[in-house]
Amino acid sequence: MTNHFWRYSHLALAVSSFLFLLLASITGAILSAEPVLDRIKPYAAKNIDALNLAQAIPVLRQNYPGITKISVESNQFVLIEGTDKAGDAIKAYVEPTSGRIIGKPTKKNEFFQWVTSLHRSLFLHEIGRIFIGLTAFLLMLIAISGITLTIKRQRGIRRFLAKIPNDGSAQYYHTIVGRLSLVFILLIAVSGTYLSLNTLRIIKPVKTNVNVDFDKIKSGPQKNIKDFEVFKNISLSEVQTIEFPFSEDVEDYYTLTLKDREVAVNQVTGVVIAESKYPFSVLVSNLSMTIHTGRGSALWAVILGIASLSILFFIYSGFVITLKRISSRTKNKYKKEESTYILLVGSENGTTNRYASAVLKLLIKQGKKAYITSMNDYAVYPRAEHFLIFTSTYGIGEPPANANKFLSLVDEIQQINPIRYSVLGFGSKSYPDFCKFAFDVHNNLSAKSWATPLIDVHTVDDRSPADLTLWQESWSQQSGISFEDFAGTSKEKPKRLRTFSVESNTNFGDTFLIELQGRGKLKAKSGDLLAIYPANDHRERLYSIGVLNRKIQLSVKLHENGLGSGFLHSLNAADELKARVVKNNHFHFPVKASSVIMISNGTGIAPFLGMIDENNEKISCHLYCGFKNTQAFEPFKAFLNNKLAETKLAKLNVAYSREGDKQYVSDLVNIDSDLIAKKLIESSVIMICGSLSMQKDILQVLERICQEHTNHPLSFYQSRNQILTDCY
Amino acid sequence: MTNFLKISLLVLSIAFLKPNQANAQAAKYKCMIQMTNYMGEGAYIVISLIDAKGQYEKTLYVLGSDKKWYNSLKEWHKFNAKKPSNISAITGASLTGGDRGISIIDIEKSKINSGYKLRFESAVEDQKYNVKDLEIPLTTEALSAKTDGTGYIRYVRFSPN
Repeated sequence: MTNHFWRYSHLALAVSSFLFLLLASITGAILSAEPVLDRIKPYAAKNIDALNLAQAIPVLRQNYPGITKISVESNQFVLIEGTDKAGDAIKAYVEPTSGRIIGKPTKKNEFFQWVTSLHRSLFLHEIGRIFIGLTAFLLMLIAISGITLTIKRQRGIRRFLAKIPNDGSAQYYHTIVGRLSLVFILLIAVSGTYLSLNTLRIIKPVKTNVNVDFDKIKSGPQKNIKDFEVFKNISLSEVQTIEFPFSEDVEDYYTLTLKDREVAVNQVTGVVIAESKYPFSVLVSNLSMTIHTGRGSALWAVILGIASLSILFFIYSGFVITLKRISSRTKNKYKKEESTYILLVGSENGTTNRYASAVLKLLIKQGKKAYITSMNDYAVYPRAEHFLIFTSTYGIGEPPANANKFLSLVDEIQQINPIRYSVLGFGSKSYPDFCKFAFDVHNNLSAKSWATPLIDVHTVDDRSPADLTLWQESWSQQSGISFEDFAGTSKEKPKRLRTFSVESNTNFGDTFLIELQGRGKLKAKSGDLLAIYPANDHRERLYSIGVLNRKIQLSVKLHENGLGSGFLHSLNAADELKARVVKNNHFHFPVKASSVIMISNGTGIAPFLGMIDENNEKISCHLYCGFKNTQAFEPFKAFLNNKLAETKLAKLNVAYSREGDKQYVSDLVNIDSDLIAKKLIESSVIMICGSLSMQKDILQVLERICQEHTNHPLSFYQSRNQILTDCY
Repeated sequence: MTNFLKISLLVLSIAFLKPNQANAQAAKYKCMIQMTNYMGEGAYIVISLIDAKGQYEKTLYVLGSDKKWYNSLKEWHKFNAKKPSNISAITGASLTGGDRGISIIDIEKSKINSGYKLRFESAVEDQKYNVKDLEIPLTTEALSAKTDGTGYIRYVRFSPN
């Protein structure tokens, strides 16, 4: 069944009963102290397990001839009732071996009686009992739906107790506390429901008393109590009560109330004259009572108390979660028909939603017509130009509840206008299927003729501000939307720019290599990005960094009227520029991988040059790179041949799109399908850097390879960080 | 000091009371109440001495210790409100379905065989109230027989203690 169903049942049940639950759990927690306090009363008799009735009864009878009843409470207190030698009424705890009085029972604590009454019936008698009974029943349903949700979240019952990543949210603690106490809460709820059914007389556990046939009672042979066989076989601890014969008349008998039956014993002959086993309903009723009240076990009572307190916590944290979810719902200012920016949100909780709403606000503030909706409400957007997709992943790489129909909807519904899209995945790397659904969405859209990625798919690990900033900067650069007054992430420190000096700037046709030397220690790694501000304003341009000989190397293609490339191209050796390094952790060389496949086109080769150069471990690296022609490859040729000789690079494959066979790099990858599939299965890492259109082709080839040669879709490997991309 | 005085007074009065009671010729009886197998909370039962005119004369025993529920024993509660007596010494636990309870009650010998009655009045939370679950003439004969109840009480028996 869908997650939706369980989630909403869980919430609806909780909301409808929380006031009664609050009351019942507070009073329940208080009442759990009673068995504990009882337990520590100093009236316990010693070793009543070892004492049988044939030993205990004669002693007590001798000391108290007027004894009428023995009760054994909590398996350890022996209470006698009757009259003492002076004929006065007596009720006391005794030591059954000697008959010595240990203490007198105190009156039931009035406070506990008051709380018990509140707990059972809210002082409202029958009506209150019905309410409390319903509350217990609802609590049972809440516990069941909660257990189901936890199992779903943990992806299987066997992983019920598996680690949950701690994101410090109310939801995390709700789940953590939940799986520890849900079973106990379920027990409380089930037993409470049963007890309510009893007191409301819907289920009637009828105790049948022993049915003695007085005609068959014999008055001989007479035996001593200490020789009664039945008394010898029952230890005092098995007994709940012993009722003594009311008179010496042979028709009056001993009645033993045991845990599962009642026994009548002839007071003269010691013969069992009747026995009555309790019906099942009585046993269940007794068990429910024991479970629900914790009587007789201080430890269980403590557990019950903690479980009751945890219900209070659930009420609190449940409301926090719900309020967050509600508050992250946003109202649209513009209609979907008139909006150019469409924000599609797939989210199980408020974080993703809140971020998307902040982006919406930013767009609207800048005069853009933007519209936000759930991914499942995907439709035709006649004026749309941009899709911004914010999504988390649920369970085993599954879509969140409000996005589960998205992929099929995208297949069905074509957009009229060409759409530039960007996917931002929210998730946590502590889960194996990190942002899998985001990758699915990105791959799926990239196969559509009307959709082109504006920037590469981005992921956010545990709400990392750095990851968010990276997406903002990348998207901002391509869309021209400034994120300066953005409220979505906590205020960043003012960007500190560093001064770099140009070591060299070499032209090769329309591409050029520029080498930069930073002042002081270089903190960049190959794969990081260099942000430059060509016009000294908010406009930022990002370039992939290759680190060679501790210098930053950028390879840049000169665009006509290109703001960034024009600026970089104009630099000469010894010139200085202000820039900063943007950490791009997801695109660093995977030092732990068994082997690495690098795929690039054009200047996308830049980070790979640095990585290959640093590959001192000589991890097997295959490079597939595409260029327009041999001339464009010229700047890298000597360097790469050198690395082949040093075995830092295992294999080099070059495709020329305008010369010879006119191949694209995706064609080369296609040819090596078998090798690629084998590498993926062996947990190798594929890194892709270059243009987004190249990435689109490569992803399609890889998707086909995965479908045909491995048992998983491409997104399986993407979510396991085996496919790393940095495209623009 | 005042406490000491109070205690000594109490001790004295008890010392004098005992022979007084003995002078009044009170007899102790064991009274056994066997309950029916009704369902529900513990029954509150009060045993009262009823005079020849059918009026309450004295409370002999109360089964049930929570005063909150005394008003459910309506008739007796009226009497007890008018002529409150100290019943704490003659109070025991309430009885639930199937229970047997034995109480020790004091009956003045002069009241036996003189037109008095013993009334057993019973009430259970949210259930029926029985003003006369059981009423027996206070005679030597009745005190040695078994008498069936009409409400929560199955039967009552006495035996001299």
